[in-house]
Amino acid sequence: MTYKVSEEGNISTVFLNGEIDMDVVDKAKELIMPLIEAKKEVHINLKDVQYMDSSGISVLIESHQKALEVGTKVTLKEISKSVLKVIMMAKLEQILNLD
Amino acid sequence: MNETIKSENKISETREFIVNSASLKEVRSFSREVFEKIKIDQDLKDELVLAIAEAAQNIVKHAYKDIETNDDKMEIKISLGKNDELEIGFFDKGKPVDGAKVRHRNIDDVKPGGLGTFFIQQIMDAVVFREGEKPWINHIILTKQL
Repeated sequence: MTYKVSEEGNISTVFLNGEIDMDVVDKAKELIMPLIEAKKEVHINLKDVQYMDSSGISVLIESHQKALEVGTKVTLKEISKSVLKVIMMAKLEQILNLD
Repeated sequence: MNETIKSENKISETREFIVNSASLKEVRSFSREVFEKIKIDQDLKDELVLAIAEAAQNIVKHAYKDIETNDDKMEIKISLGKNDELEIGFFDKGKPVDGAKVRHRNIDDVKPGGLGTFFIQQIMDAVVFREGEKPWINHIILTKQL
């Protein structure tokens, strides 16, 4: 997994790239959670994520719930077909903010 | 050619992987290589790769929980018989798993974790836990009629 972060005002956009599994989720969490804790609005761009497993989905849930807790928002952007399929399999399309 | 036949030949491929999270990428590569030989659509291939990777992840996370360092290997065997039944066997030497206690979390209780087993059950027709024959401790079998 590789990533890039861009900032615009109070919005941080995290561009994730590659395959997100148990082996890289800690890295993804270390990247995303501090932005949420800093009360940034976080956009996670998933256009270039070709594979995500249950560990990756757990990071999305944790991010969403942490954002609600601190009063900000996480939005998933440009979700790739393969990631959307896994989100739907987990029945999270009505829970997470998808754009 | 009979369109119900997904492969001209019986397929039976086995590979060993070191039991750690870094091996999951290799598990997916192996699975994709095998499924390239089977005439099924890409969406189904992707689902099967996910199910296999989740089962392998469960071995790393649960069967080897609290086992700090090891160079143990797990074995994955993917077989397709002439009746188009796909069988995926997982063999490991971790702590014995009681299949009756393996449950996914309530899917409506949204929280991190507990989804891997749910995904496996959504994708596969059956999941069977067996005691492994020596040298294995656990033998998990996933099956799906293609």
